[in-house]
This record gives sequence, structure tokens and C-alpha cells, in this order.
Amino acid sequence: MSSPIASPRASNLRTGRASRMLEVYVWVFLFLIALPILLVSVISFSPTPFLSFPMQDFSLRWYGRVFEYEPFLQSLWTSVELATASTLVASIVAVPCALALARSQAGAAEWVTVFLLSPISIPGIVLGFALLYYLSNLSVGPGFLALFLAHTVIAIPYISRTVLSVYRTVPRSIEESAVILGASRTETIFLITLPQIRYAIYSGTLFAFLISLDNLPISFFFSTAQTNVLPVVMMSYLQNQYDPSIAAIATIQMLFAVIALVLGEKLLGIGALKSI
Amino acid sequence: MSSAVQHTHASVDRPGRKTRSRRDYAVALPVWAAPAIAALTLLFAVPLAHNAWQSLTKEEATADAFFYYRKIISDPYYRGVLFETLSVSFIVTVLCLLLSYPVAYYLARHARRSRSAILFLLVAPLLTSVIMRTLGIRLILAKQGLLNALLDTVSLGPIPPSLLNGPFSVYVGIIHVLIPFMVLSITPVIQRIEPAIEESAVILGAGALRTFWHVTLPLSREGIYTGCILVFMMSNGSFITQLMLGAGKVVTMPVLIFQQFNVTQDTAFAGAMGNMLLIMTIVCLAIQSLLISRSRRPQ
Repeated sequence: MSSPIASPRASNLRTGRASRMLEVYVWVFLFLIALPILLVSVISFSPTPFLSFPMQDFSLRWYGRVFEYEPFLQSLWTSVELATASTLVASIVAVPCALALARSQAGAAEWVTVFLLSPISIPGIVLGFALLYYLSNLSVGPGFLALFLAHTVIAIPYISRTVLSVYRTVPRSIEESAVILGASRTETIFLITLPQIRYAIYSGTLFAFLISLDNLPISFFFSTAQTNVLPVVMMSYLQNQYDPSIAAIATIQMLFAVIALVLGEKLLGIGALKSI
Repeated sequence: MSSAVQHTHASVDRPGRKTRSRRDYAVALPVWAAPAIAALTLLFAVPLAHNAWQSLTKEEATADAFFYYRKIISDPYYRGVLFETLSVSFIVTVLCLLLSYPVAYYLARHARRSRSAILFLLVAPLLTSVIMRTLGIRLILAKQGLLNALLDTVSLGPIPPSLLNGPFSVYVGIIHVLIPFMVLSITPVIQRIEPAIEESAVILGAGALRTFWHVTLPLSREGIYTGCILVFMMSNGSFITQLMLGAGKVVTMPVLIFQQFNVTQDTAFAGAMGNMLLIMTIVCLAIQSLLISRSRRPQ
């Protein structure tokens, strides 16, 4: 844009000012995106039950309340179990499928890929509603099994999407060389293919895990008093009470996500963020 | 591009044996796709089809298959809800596009060292729960929220609660949730535009605005289509923001489904509305693939 080739001084000055304005706009934009989240984290340390600005003091009282209020901890635990189980099973199913589809030359592969990724686009409330009545016809009522099945369906496209897009960029010749040099299929997969796509598997599963942890539109159909997940508990808490303990549990949930992300980045290197 | 490379690669290496050798070296067998396809067929496609069938055959639809669909279209209240859904999504999409294009442009063209910081700030909100973000919007826009507190310190009167609690908050809330997706859809497309094309326009005498309008913007239309349709679809399906920030004033189809399910238990009708939403989504996806295949066709 600000090319050195055709630059009378006036226009150069103008583009300089324009790009500075653009820069200011971008940082204001990002600040406004971050503001609500920062605010919730700040409010979770508020000493008073009602929210007021500016805050006078600092207290951990609402974090104490989170640990006293049974449903929060119980549902957080259920949510973590559910996210772990569904992500694990989904990745066992989704990764081989993505590997097969990425290299397939069959004409149907494209349509199968569209089908595989389609649960991402369908509104969660529609799928949740439809699945609830379908499963109860099969006498699988609300509860952990139904939640697990629903979350697995949602996790499959997220994992296969990242694996597909990364595996397509891996040259075939690498695997071909391994085979030519005498590697068996199993050796090729474990020594060549999987190491090449490990970032994709990691970021896909991380994303699926976080989506599951935060899923409300589907989970709310399958939650029961015994098996309740965190987002549903948070929403019903918010409808009845309104104190900063909800901000505290939201902050804890965010920390979980950030820790998972940072750990992954540290252990596996940079790149996960980019493929989301 | 990559397929062209692979093609020449294959024909140079093993002329005449292309198909067979490819199959021999493919690491993954086609069968490996089966479990995922089976899972999605049984737990995704069949339930949705089952739901569509129920909405055409159950309760009031036993005699008249399209009873519920006619009700949605002809009843002024439900037609209003349908219209509200589309208009909320449309306004949200346009605002998201206008607000995020400059950010995408900056990210693709100007940001260097700040690039990963910007990306992080865009992706980080996606790691927090929707409830947290809606709560945050409420803290800003509530009667005694941050915005009114700030206005108070510069001795400007508080904004009337009727303005804050309702459609305005809902729009802010949905845009806040969806805008990162718009930026992330447009940025890579702008990045792919050769800067030399824009430079040529400038050398040939076009001003910055004209270059933008006639060169950059048309070349980035693929990202604009993708982002707009993504945001439109996601907005069509959103309801938590409406429930938590709308004070009952913004009733869209998912909100109505939620209410039907929770309060009236009219499942066949809720199923029909869900199916309408599903059809709207499929139409959006079809438009998207049409637009993208058209914009990729050489002119």
C-alpha cells in the first residue's frame, strides 16, 4: 500500500496518518473484545454481594462460596469427565476417518467430508432437541450416556477438521518413502504419519474439549438433577441468584482453558492457536 | 496448486501406473472412515430426519402434514419471530463485517510483531464460556454498570435502562461472541492478495480509497462470503444471549424452541421450528458453496 515507488510526500503523510488511525482502531477493538471478560474476572474478587464501580477492596469470598456450593464443584467434575470421555472417543473415530478422507481419490470423499463437518454448522439447540426425542425412543433417557453421545457427535467434526486440513498439506512422498524403504503400514502410521499431524490432533482435541466444557444448547436437554454439567448449573444459578460467585466459577473455568492451552503450547510447541 | 504439483509428480515418477500405485501407498484404508460415518449417521442424520418426520406426522400434523409449518408462516406472532430471527442475524452480520474488516486488513497487512498478540486476543474469548461473556456485557450495560458509572464521572446522565436492557444489549452480546469468527475468516484471504496488485493500482493513479474499493475489496470477497455466512448461521442458532440480555424483548426461533420445550411442552411444534432452522442453515451452506465456487471461477 504505502509503496516507496509512487510516493509524493503528501500522500505518504496521509497514508501514514491513516495507518496510525487503523492501528488505534484495532487496539480499541481488541480492548472492547477483552473488556467484558476482564470485568468478570475483576468482579470475582469483589468483597460485596452486589456489583459496584469502582471496586473498593479485594476479597476471595466468592471463591470460597464456589467451593461451598455443591452443584458448582459437582457439575465442574461431571463436565470435565464428559469432555474427556467424549473427546477421547471422538478422536479415536475422527482421526482415522480424516486420514482416509484426506488421501481418498473417490468422488464421494468430498461429500463425505461435507457430511463429517456438518454438525459444526447445525444450531446446537436443533440437534439437542432432535437427539433427545430420538434417544428416548431408544430408551436412552437424559443422563451421562446421552450427554456423552451428543458431545461425541459434536467433537468428531472439530477434530477431523483440523486433522484433515493439516494432513492435506503433508506431502505423500514422505509416507511413500517410508513404504519404499520397507516400513509396514503400522510403522508408517506411528513413526511417520502421526508425528506429522500431532499438532493438528492436539489442537483439534483441545478445541473439542473446550467446546464440550462450554456447551449449553445441547447439554441442557440431557442434564438431570443427578448428572448436571457446569454451563447448565451456571445458567440456572444466574437466573435465580446474582452474586459474584458466578464470576468466580467462570474465572476458574477460563483458567482451566488457559492452562490447557499454555501447557499444550509449551509441551508441543507453537502452532495450535493457528489451526483453530 | 498442490494437486497440480502432485499430478506432475505422479506422472513423472510412474507414468501409466498412477492409480494403482497411489492406492498401494495410501496409509489409511477407506474403511477407516466407516466408524465416524456410522456414528454421525446414527446420532446426527437419523435424529434430524426423525425430528423432521415427527413434525410432519405427529399430533396436529396427523391430518395435515404441513399444519405446523403453515402455523409458523401464517400466524402473525410466529411469522414475526421468524422475521426477527432473520433481521437480528442480518444486522449482526453487517455490523460484524463493517467492524471487523479493518482489523482483518490490519492483521493481514500491517501487523508484524503484534500479530501473534492480536491473534491471541481474538482467540482467547473463544476459550471462555458464553455465560462469562454475557455476564461481562451485563456488567457494562446494566443500570449500575460500568458504562453508566463512567458517564456519571463526566456528569452525563445515565442511559435509560429501557435502552440498555433489551435489543441493544442483545446485539452487543451476539456481536461480541461472533466477531472473532468474521476477522479470522477474512484475514487469510486478504493475506493471499498479492500486494503488487494494489501497488499497480496506486502506480496507475488510483487513490487509496479507489484502490481499496476496486481492488482489495473485490479480491477479498471469498473471505467476506465465508465470514458473513458463518456469522449469519451462528447468529440464527444463538439464544443464550437473547435469554440473558434481552429481558424477553428479543424472541428469535431458538428462544421460542427453548420456551416451547421448557414451558408449553409442545414438542411437535418445537420440532417443526427446529426443522425450519435446519433448513435455513442448509440454504446458507448452499449459498456459501455457490458463491465460493463462483468467485473461484476465472473471469
